[in-house]
Amino acid sequence: MRFKSVAHAMALPMTLMIFGLAMISISTAHAGEITVYTSLEEPEIADYLVAAKKDMPDIKVNVLRLSTGDLGARILSEGNHPRYDVIWGWALTNMMDPRVQGLLQPYQPKGLARVPARFKDPNGKWFAPTGYMAALCVNTDRLKRQGLPMPTGWTDLLNPVYKGELVMPNPASSGTGYLQVVSILQGLGGEKGWDFLKQLNANVAQYSKSGSRPCSMASTGEYAIGASSAIVAMQAVRQGYPVKMVIPREGAGYELEANALAAGSPHQHDAERFLDWTISDDAARLYGKYKEIVGIESASDVSKPTSGDMPSDVKKMLFPMDFNQSMETRPATLARWQKEIEHH
Amino acid sequence: MSTDFIAEPMARSFRWRFGRGQIEILIALLAALPLVVFVLYPLWMILRESIHHPDGRWGLDYYDLYIRDPHFRQALFNTLTVSFWATLATVFIAFGYAYALKRTKVPGKWLWHSVILLPLFAPSLIQALGVQFLLGRNGIVNRYLGTDIDIYGFWGILISNVLYGLPHAYLVLSVALSGADARLYDAAKMLGAGGFKRFSSVTLPAARYGILSAIFLGFAINISEFGNPMVLGGDYNVLATEIYNQVAGQANFHLGAVIGVLLLLPVLLSVVAEKWIARRQTTISAQATPYRLERSWWVDGPMLFFLGGIAIAIIAVMGVVVVASLTRLWPYNLSFTLQHYSLDVPGGYGALWVSLKMSLMAAAIGVVVATMGALIVQKLSSRLRQVLYLLSVVPAAVPGMVLGLGYVLAFNNLSTPVYWLYGTVLLLSLCTVYHYHAQAFLIATTGLKQIDGGLQEASQTLGASMLHTTRHVTLPLIGPAMLSISMFYFMHSMVTISALIFLVAPGTTPAAISVLLLNDAGNLPQAAAFATIIMAAIISVILTVKGLAWFGGRFLRQRRVG
Repeated sequence: MRFKSVAHAMALPMTLMIFGLAMISISTAHAGEITVYTSLEEPEIADYLVAAKKDMPDIKVNVLRLSTGDLGARILSEGNHPRYDVIWGWALTNMMDPRVQGLLQPYQPKGLARVPARFKDPNGKWFAPTGYMAALCVNTDRLKRQGLPMPTGWTDLLNPVYKGELVMPNPASSGTGYLQVVSILQGLGGEKGWDFLKQLNANVAQYSKSGSRPCSMASTGEYAIGASSAIVAMQAVRQGYPVKMVIPREGAGYELEANALAAGSPHQHDAERFLDWTISDDAARLYGKYKEIVGIESASDVSKPTSGDMPSDVKKMLFPMDFNQSMETRPATLARWQKEIEHH
Repeated sequence: MSTDFIAEPMARSFRWRFGRGQIEILIALLAALPLVVFVLYPLWMILRESIHHPDGRWGLDYYDLYIRDPHFRQALFNTLTVSFWATLATVFIAFGYAYALKRTKVPGKWLWHSVILLPLFAPSLIQALGVQFLLGRNGIVNRYLGTDIDIYGFWGILISNVLYGLPHAYLVLSVALSGADARLYDAAKMLGAGGFKRFSSVTLPAARYGILSAIFLGFAINISEFGNPMVLGGDYNVLATEIYNQVAGQANFHLGAVIGVLLLLPVLLSVVAEKWIARRQTTISAQATPYRLERSWWVDGPMLFFLGGIAIAIIAVMGVVVVASLTRLWPYNLSFTLQHYSLDVPGGYGALWVSLKMSLMAAAIGVVVATMGALIVQKLSSRLRQVLYLLSVVPAAVPGMVLGLGYVLAFNNLSTPVYWLYGTVLLLSLCTVYHYHAQAFLIATTGLKQIDGGLQEASQTLGASMLHTTRHVTLPLIGPAMLSISMFYFMHSMVTISALIFLVAPGTTPAAISVLLLNDAGNLPQAAAFATIIMAAIISVILTVKGLAWFGGRFLRQRRVG
């Protein structure tokens, strides 16, 4: 009899758990639904999706938004069993990782001819209708209180008066941090670039783990200057912080936001339609509202940066990045950066 | 201690069918199965990642590579240093706090108890933000006192980790201190022991097990906590953020896995040490008379001062975030507004429902899993017990990000029978249940350890069945612990972040992740607002449960009387 009672004692929780398991409905996208992984910012995603719904009422787009690095880990860990159909607006440097490339299938969306060559993959695995660039967030309130001059670019930041007031993203953990380092290295060339980074290091208070954090620290006045991206800087300005966005006059490093079709996408047809839409006129019109870099040619007249803080000749300020080189030299660059700068 | 008297009668009745050994193994297997599936299997996937090379070779090259790296050695040293001091401070403060509440007659106990639990109610990220708002370079203290404090680095991590660890250590210690045998104190008094002597020779030894559990728990939390060093660590690198660098920054799973495996070692060591010291745990015997609290302002006065100081620190850190969420633009425009409460995250308030659903499920599953686990472990013979015990506390050593990674590798795999779990809210709940399994299990075990075997034995001798004994003797006695466990799980599921970024699917993004995303996007006021909403949700659910329990109890008493 006692065995029975032990069995009863065990059975109750087990039944509860099985019951619990049975109650769960499995969430998978049905026909007419696609799943999109993205690192675009929340407000713009919401805007784009409203427009996409209008143009493709029969497709329901489920979006999962994670930061660039988190999304990379997610995509790689799902590996050959993708739970998504499309990668949308994800840093090109991360997408060029050979392991990620292996998870994509080539697709030529309608109207791809309008996308200039440097914004698309010759093998057709990705295209990048938009991009973002590096910018400094400068807290004018803190600048005034500390009696500091307004910097105009990276070279100004070597001035010892800024010692301990500058925050940069750690290039080993942040894509924004990496593109800043690469633009300085590629701009000055080789050893000169490294010398520059070492001098800059003397003024850096800390290297933050994420790319947006330097700007958010500058916004709240923790530090005077945070090196971040223009999109984050403009948002800080919009929110009303005493922040001025400064595009480094030496030329701003930039990153492209690439789209791609997952190999083994469960809803390929609808996924392709969505990708077509991302370079349609309707989409391009919206990009101008958020993006300083739009890689759709005929769109230049429909999409002017509307934010008052964005210089109108923004394309001239972009530093001509070499993405292939930046991807290939990444491990070596980071190793050297950690050795000679972070731990120096 | 309880092994023999339970196993003996059990075995006697089954001997005609099974040997005692087989029964034990059967029960142990039942308890171990979910732990194997939801803890060991994902951990194996991580271990495999750290020793399996892309070309199919097996080897320790990644370990070799990493251990040679001075960068890693520095991070390891930093981790151990800051975890040591933070654990020391946490356990010291938590013990004082629990002692004041359980062994003195300070007024306002309900209030003090509620305040120390506050850090459990919000994502740790937000509490780090609170420390920044208060003590940062442009924080309230520096701005209004004109000081020049810079906490980024060691002190930032220490302060925020202590705040984060306090409620955990307190919960374990207050269970350990809640029962006391007055006869021991009377005896000590009669033998001429003074207050301090009584404390050191009666109180401390009786709470030994709880103190060790708290140290172990505190160390494990400190070593794997990730949100605090992210915000306040500056350039003071620790292993938990190193994992982030490797996994999220460089998509380098192998090295991330190596760090994850290495983090397991100190925790396994501390488990072994704990077992060695805590072999003889004193329990409350059936003849115990409850300890009578006496008012003594010599003790209560300083204690009240101490409680007040800690409580003010906690309230200030949490409160400043709530205030920031209600101001137009912290710290520049402090006029009142509710605008940040209209969340412009997709899903918005819907994320809160996902969180609630997930957390209620985690609480229900978790309380069953942890209590059953503790009950079974206690009743097994020593070798099986040690294996199960180890299995039960291992999750405390696993950083969330590593566990999450293990879950994806384990469950997003067609060859896994539970493949269908991936992408469901249930998997989020299960992940949380097993992520915090050690803490819940320890609360249950600490509760059980204090019940003298004699009570259960008496019940069985009187002819009560196992089930009857469990229901009428064991369960009522660990009832408070069970309630703590389900509350604990509910709160943790509401605020947990790190493991879940690998498991969330579109439409199943919980609120805490939304807070992370808002913070990532530099939208601090909205992040603060959403965190406040989460806190409010948790507090209202807890008050509702407490209210129901109170009315329920009254109803039952009335019915019994009537």
